[in-house]
Amino acid sequence: MTTTNAPLPTYQAKDYKSELKPIWCPGCGDFGVVQAIYRALAAIGRPPHEIAFVSGIGCSSRIPGYTTAYGFNSVHGRALPIAQGIKVASPELLVLVAGGDGDGFSIGGGHVAHAVRRNTDITYIVMDNQIYGLTKGQLSPTSPKGLHTVTSEYGSLEEAVNPLLYVLAYGANFVAQGTPADMAGLAEVIEAAIRFPGFSFVNVQSPCVTFGEDDQQVKNHRATMQSLAKLGHDPTDRLAAMGLAQKYGKELHTGVFYKNPDPPPTMNALIKERQQVLSEKAPPRSRIFDRFLQT
Amino acid sequence: MTDKTRSIDLANISLRDALDLAVLVEEEAKDRYEEFADQMELHHNPEAARFFRFMLAIEAKHESRLAERRRGLFGDEPRSVKREMIFDIEAPEYDEVRANMTVRQALGASLQAETKAFEFFEAAAGMVQMKDVQDIFTELREEEREHQALVRQEIARLPPEGPARDDDDEIVAL
Repeated sequence: MTTTNAPLPTYQAKDYKSELKPIWCPGCGDFGVVQAIYRALAAIGRPPHEIAFVSGIGCSSRIPGYTTAYGFNSVHGRALPIAQGIKVASPELLVLVAGGDGDGFSIGGGHVAHAVRRNTDITYIVMDNQIYGLTKGQLSPTSPKGLHTVTSEYGSLEEAVNPLLYVLAYGANFVAQGTPADMAGLAEVIEAAIRFPGFSFVNVQSPCVTFGEDDQQVKNHRATMQSLAKLGHDPTDRLAAMGLAQKYGKELHTGVFYKNPDPPPTMNALIKERQQVLSEKAPPRSRIFDRFLQT
Repeated sequence: MTDKTRSIDLANISLRDALDLAVLVEEEAKDRYEEFADQMELHHNPEAARFFRFMLAIEAKHESRLAERRRGLFGDEPRSVKREMIFDIEAPEYDEVRANMTVRQALGASLQAETKAFEFFEAAAGMVQMKDVQDIFTELREEEREHQALVRQEIARLPPEGPARDDDDEIVAL
């Protein structure tokens, strides 16, 4: 009797796990995120050598080292341009980018808009813990207003960046959110993001248990998270997605906020098209050589 | 219940798949305890690490006993239930551990995990159609109940805890 209805994965989650042992603080949300990534990759079924994983700097940016994919632990805030370059140069690779909220929305904030508008087929996973954890608890761009940290002793005066609204407003075609409190749901949205043709963004509320606001955040997530699918949200409605995204920081919505039902061509598709047009107009090689000799 | 499995039709699960599921549940728990033990060793907490290694050995024993039973009944028939289809059924949650946790807290994390597994098998036993599958899920549920009792006994045997250790970095986000 068949009791399962899923196609069997060619690769197992463990095939994407490297020998390197994570050095995150015990209890860190990133442990659940990396497990969800292994599972999503197993569901996709691409061999590790066909995957490139790029990151910036920060606790979460250690993730490429914990996978068997090609990894590039790059420069603070610069993971997106590097990932776009990899995808343009090697279109056959599946390219993932991981980083934290500081990496993505502070020092690297300027790159997000351009990654969105270029629509290179990469998946950007942000582990949003609302604090700079690696450097021991400074205010980050997504820290809630009023948060007391070593750099905001009397409470932050600044409004938090809203990563969901930010990418939606720039025109991202796939935007989702998850939490390690629901690993199955998180693996599902990461898989959906990877399968989406074009730039896809997953914000993961991944609490910092050492410097975060409350060391029981994952338990709180379990108690308060609301599945967008169960709320009856239509993920093809960008304005409805933006309405829900405005509740970032107040309510925890999980699942797909927006998925363009008619995805525009990716950067790689446009480059291929342009190359084809230009190759038809290009003079034969012999003519190029002649021109060279004439100069 | 539904958030613990994906693509598994528990109501109609066969005996072979039920046994494979049980093996994977133990394997997942074993791997998690190994991760926890590694984390504790890395963070200089040998007492909690020792306890997690102890739990790892217990889960490994359960896993091999169930795997042996599966082999006896179904030989090398391929598995259709995969590890990717289950989510923390008996594995303690990642957020249950902390770098400076005491053995009592580590036992508490295990008790929660055993309770989760008990609840899973109880719900599964109530859903299944086939008698032999129901029997195995009921048996597994009862084993989890015994494990809960054992962990509670261990907790009761521990000496009372002193004040919490204050060797953490200062928590700066209030």
